[in-house]
Amino acid sequence: MSLFGMLLTQLRAWRGVIGVLFFLALAGLVVANVFIRPHEAEFVYDAYAGFWAVFGLIGGLAMVIIMKKIVQPMISRGDDYYERNS
Amino acid sequence: MSATANFFVHPSVGFFALALILPFLSGKAWKWLLVVPSIIAIWSVMTVAPGNYGELNYLGQVLHFGRVDKLSLIFAQVFAVMSLIGMVYAMHVDDKLQHIMACVYVGGAFGCTFAADFLTLFIFWEFMSIGSTFLIWLARNPISTKAGFRYFMYHTIGGLFLLIGLLLRYKAVGNFTFDAVAPAHMMVYDWMILLGFCVNAAVVPLHAWLPDAYPEGTVTGSVFMCAFTTKTAVYVLLRGFHGVEALAIAGTVMCVYGVLYACIENNARRILSYHIVSQVGYMVAGIGIGTAMTMNGAVAHAYAHILYKGLLFMGTGCILYAAGTTKLDKLGGLVQRMPWVMVFYMVAALSISGMPLFNGFISKTMTIVGAAEAHRTWLAIGMEIAAVGTFVSVGIKLPYFAFWAKPANDKMELKPIPTNMYVGMAMGAALCIAQGLYPDMLYRYLPFEMEHVYHPWTTWHVLQSLLLLGFSGLAFYFMRNIITPHAKTNLDVDFFYRLIGRGVLALVSKPLAWIDDRWTEAYRAVGLSGLLTLARGTVWFDTKGIDTVVDGSAYTVQNVGALGAKVQTGRLQDYLGLAATLALCVFAAVWYFA
Repeated sequence: MSLFGMLLTQLRAWRGVIGVLFFLALAGLVVANVFIRPHEAEFVYDAYAGFWAVFGLIGGLAMVIIMKKIVQPMISRGDDYYERNS
Repeated sequence: MSATANFFVHPSVGFFALALILPFLSGKAWKWLLVVPSIIAIWSVMTVAPGNYGELNYLGQVLHFGRVDKLSLIFAQVFAVMSLIGMVYAMHVDDKLQHIMACVYVGGAFGCTFAADFLTLFIFWEFMSIGSTFLIWLARNPISTKAGFRYFMYHTIGGLFLLIGLLLRYKAVGNFTFDAVAPAHMMVYDWMILLGFCVNAAVVPLHAWLPDAYPEGTVTGSVFMCAFTTKTAVYVLLRGFHGVEALAIAGTVMCVYGVLYACIENNARRILSYHIVSQVGYMVAGIGIGTAMTMNGAVAHAYAHILYKGLLFMGTGCILYAAGTTKLDKLGGLVQRMPWVMVFYMVAALSISGMPLFNGFISKTMTIVGAAEAHRTWLAIGMEIAAVGTFVSVGIKLPYFAFWAKPANDKMELKPIPTNMYVGMAMGAALCIAQGLYPDMLYRYLPFEMEHVYHPWTTWHVLQSLLLLGFSGLAFYFMRNIITPHAKTNLDVDFFYRLIGRGVLALVSKPLAWIDDRWTEAYRAVGLSGLLTLARGTVWFDTKGIDTVVDGSAYTVQNVGALGAKVQTGRLQDYLGLAATLALCVFAAVWYFA
């Protein structure tokens, strides 16, 4: 295994720390959003702080839940349904 | 560029020439030739001065091969760069036919880009169709064979729409000139042509060929395909149909549709294929909205997209090459064994997601901001939703389940990846980052004049992107156990294509089978005795006719031969006499008839 590969493996051991840093960064971004706003709102609501945070979070959650839990059970068939390398 | 040439070396020429000579070369040195047409193409598009070059009279029509302007040049430029990257990535492949077909395909794309009339466009359009079909077939397995046939059938139908449209148009207006239509006054033939273009642009619901075929192409062939077919279609849409409202709506639908399907797909290359539909959606929407900013956004995004999508397919191609599959449920824990593949893949994944520092950030935001500025709020929101989905699927899901999810995977047998594949990926990654850092590298070539210059690197744009992507990432974190890919086939509209296909087959084959049955019966009753009579007749003819004639001619030849032998006495005077007689006869004939 290359040195670089080992470094990347080490990242797995640090995932707790990385998680904490990630949450801190997200919080930092929302705080920054309180002070930094768009010059002109593209839509009405993006003038409010945290709009894009909520948009990303809700959008992502809704997409995964709707597609994996509701749509996929309806439209999915067996792996070899079309005899292709699905 | 400082030097400008007042002649034009059409980039197609090099590719077609290479395709023609490759079969006759032996040894290994020919592999270095693969990059030559691309280098010539890059030189050509960087130095040529705008203008009209190269016309050819053919069957009473004038074919225009060289419309060189800012719009065709920027597309040709990225095509040239991508062809170089793709050829470097494909250099280890020994199968010459793959290279030949890649050349035919890329040459076709350049031909379409510089074509100024529909006839020329159509010819090169079909070259592309043939070349790309072979890039699927040459994976040489039963699945790709079938996928290739479906792909070819679909593109042939698309090509026929284009052909019908351009012929009807010729009948109505009397020429094949390819220029922009007035969106308010589109005729039936314009719609037909648009439909033909939309097939290649994978506009929903005409898109299903793409996620059906691209995952089945060769490792290196799909890298070419993901760059050229849809982007050539984007170019012709931009050239001919900007400002058509239907495209604005259709494009946004594509954006969202593609990410929704990618969300539930299992095959990495199929996930990327659905993301082509989604990303091309931004371009189609930009073209449909039709302001200078959204159209420039479409061009910029096409440029950036070709680079990062090529890189994405190169990364997943490496996985396919090494592990033999791109099904995420069979992969996982590969990071320490393919660290650099992961790094290059991530550069592309962050680019497609529009992360600051990478080229998607400077191109995607341009179309979205342009849509918002044109007061197309709903369209802009659709594109932002697609941005969220893109990051969730391509940015996190795919690499997470391929490289990380499971514990370190030491058992899976991996084929070593050739160096040239790494070099190709490094070239793509370098360009993705360079364009992200220096947007002017790309913006200076944009073809449409804008009222005000767009600056992507403002504090707000950066913050907005980070918020959107950061919290999409958080959504993935919460959903990581739900989004786990499953080995399933997800029905798409190709379910209906297949239904139509079976219907047509039944419609054609059932009456044919009926006719065949009746014919067999009638043949038994009438045909067989008739045939016997005919046979008797033939026998009679053979003995009386043929034998007489053949035998007769044989005797004649024998007699003539005997006469000839007699004439050839071997005496000089006889010959002189004969020659004089012959000369006299000729002279008499000339004198008499002249």
